[in-house]
Amino acid sequence: MELDKSLVSGSIPLLVMKLLEAGDLYGYQMIEELRRRSDDTFRLKAGTLYPLLHGLEEKGFVTAYEGEAAAGKPRRYYHLTERGREALREKETAWNEYTRVVGLVLRGGACCAGA
Amino acid sequence: MPERKTIQGYLDEVGAQIRWKRARPVVLRELERHLEDQRDAFASEGREDPEGLAVAEMGDPVSVGAELDLLHRPRPQWGLLLFTVLFAAAGAFLRLWLTRDFSAYFAERPARVIVGFALGCLALLGGYFLDVGRLGRRPGLVYLGALAVSAVSLAISPGSNGASYYTRYVTLCFPVVYALWLYGWRGKSWRGQALAMLGIVPLAVICMLTPHFFALLLVAAVGFVMLLVAAAWDWFGIGKRKSLILPAAGAAATLALFLRRIQSSGYFQSRMEVVFHPEVDPLGAGWTAIVTKQALGASRWLGEGDLGGSIEHYEKMVPDCDQSALLTTLIYRLGWLPFLLVVLALAVLLAWLLFRCVRQKSRLGRLVVLAVGMTLLGEALCSMAWNLGFTFFAADFPLVVGNLHTVLVMGLVGLALSVFRGDGIAREMPGRPMKPPRLRVRFEIQKN
Repeated sequence: MELDKSLVSGSIPLLVMKLLEAGDLYGYQMIEELRRRSDDTFRLKAGTLYPLLHGLEEKGFVTAYEGEAAAGKPRRYYHLTERGREALREKETAWNEYTRVVGLVLRGGACCAGA
Repeated sequence: MPERKTIQGYLDEVGAQIRWKRARPVVLRELERHLEDQRDAFASEGREDPEGLAVAEMGDPVSVGAELDLLHRPRPQWGLLLFTVLFAAAGAFLRLWLTRDFSAYFAERPARVIVGFALGCLALLGGYFLDVGRLGRRPGLVYLGALAVSAVSLAISPGSNGASYYTRYVTLCFPVVYALWLYGWRGKSWRGQALAMLGIVPLAVICMLTPHFFALLLVAAVGFVMLLVAAAWDWFGIGKRKSLILPAAGAAATLALFLRRIQSSGYFQSRMEVVFHPEVDPLGAGWTAIVTKQALGASRWLGEGDLGGSIEHYEKMVPDCDQSALLTTLIYRLGWLPFLLVVLALAVLLAWLLFRCVRQKSRLGRLVVLAVGMTLLGEALCSMAWNLGFTFFAADFPLVVGNLHTVLVMGLVGLALSVFRGDGIAREMPGRPMKPPRLRVRFEIQKN
């Protein structure tokens, strides 16, 4: 089943920052990793990813540096900063709360759950 | 038949949406690499037209370019530009006001000061709109250009106080030139570090030929600090600790040579003695320090001091009172408070440059701002010491003393501000790092 794009778009910064929490990655790796971890569901377009990454860099959530990928190819790696980790924790908390209340509503609402 | 989608076509389309020229190559390079990875992945899967598929995966080039355009805009530094212009205007006014009734005052002086200020503003804007990244791509050319200009200047410049007049000013650009030279040797291992260090030698030789000992010390100090910074970044790729070995050895050798020179040279010894005890040579080398201290002793917090004579008496007494001793004149004629305000204004500018330097993303930008900041700080400290009666080296106080000097300093400040202007895309420009010369030694054995 294909997901509604509007459901995904708001959570992309959270997903990208979560990927970077485990280690530094360059753009192409992020797209591949996200696809792998989401069981081939999230197919992020590079045209969406790079403006997002540059925006996160602007906010100081990530820093970028030149590193060597396989076969010595130079690639631009992104690193999650301490400020970015804090922002990620906040976003995760907010997301968990959001999914909890959406779940509540879908199950009939807090007043009627289990009724 | 639909038009075939190519990587270059896609990049051209994205680039056309990005209005800031400086941002384009940085952004497009990253997208190009991504497209190449994607194309190679499709090709390895055996898909048909992998390049077209990779381009299709990217999304609409116009909307991608428009989004990137919004993110990558120049960051104008109007506040600092205005501050520098106002500071230089105040300096020009002081140059005229403090010397208005000097007998050495000549009719063209106001015109020269105004022209100097106007050219300084142009130099400030020229430096501001200059792309430091572009200079960083041709560090060898900049370095050789500086050497060529210095050689020409040494050959044709008129002399002033025993030094080549124009070369004295050229040498003030050496710290920035050296920053670019050092930048060019990134990732070039021991050989790169050795060549980066050797780059100081020709600059130092020009300073000695000028001769301009303040510039010589400045080049040595800035060079050493930058090599330490490069070591902290592991700039040459040999490890942070190992990167310290050559600079430490170089600094120790230079210091040993310097100390030996002081010990063997009577001139240096007497010069050092006079700096702290000018009374040992009151009518010779100690004269300037003694009369400077007399003038300062007769100065007030606010208002003109009283040396017990007319201003002509002061003018005849304090050597070079309209140039290197202008700050002494400022203290004597207007008081200590205006002097402290001038020093405070420069301290604010330098502190701001340093603060922004630390937060700078680009290493080239950091090196250039550091070079400019150290040049201005060195000049300010030497000039203040001279004007307070410690006559180590005569130096011009930035933005206050000298017309040509002000033009040069404003150009350097503009260059530092251009780094902050491009902070949004402040990334390492791959450019063309310099290649160490390939030295080949060939042995031939002749059989007889």
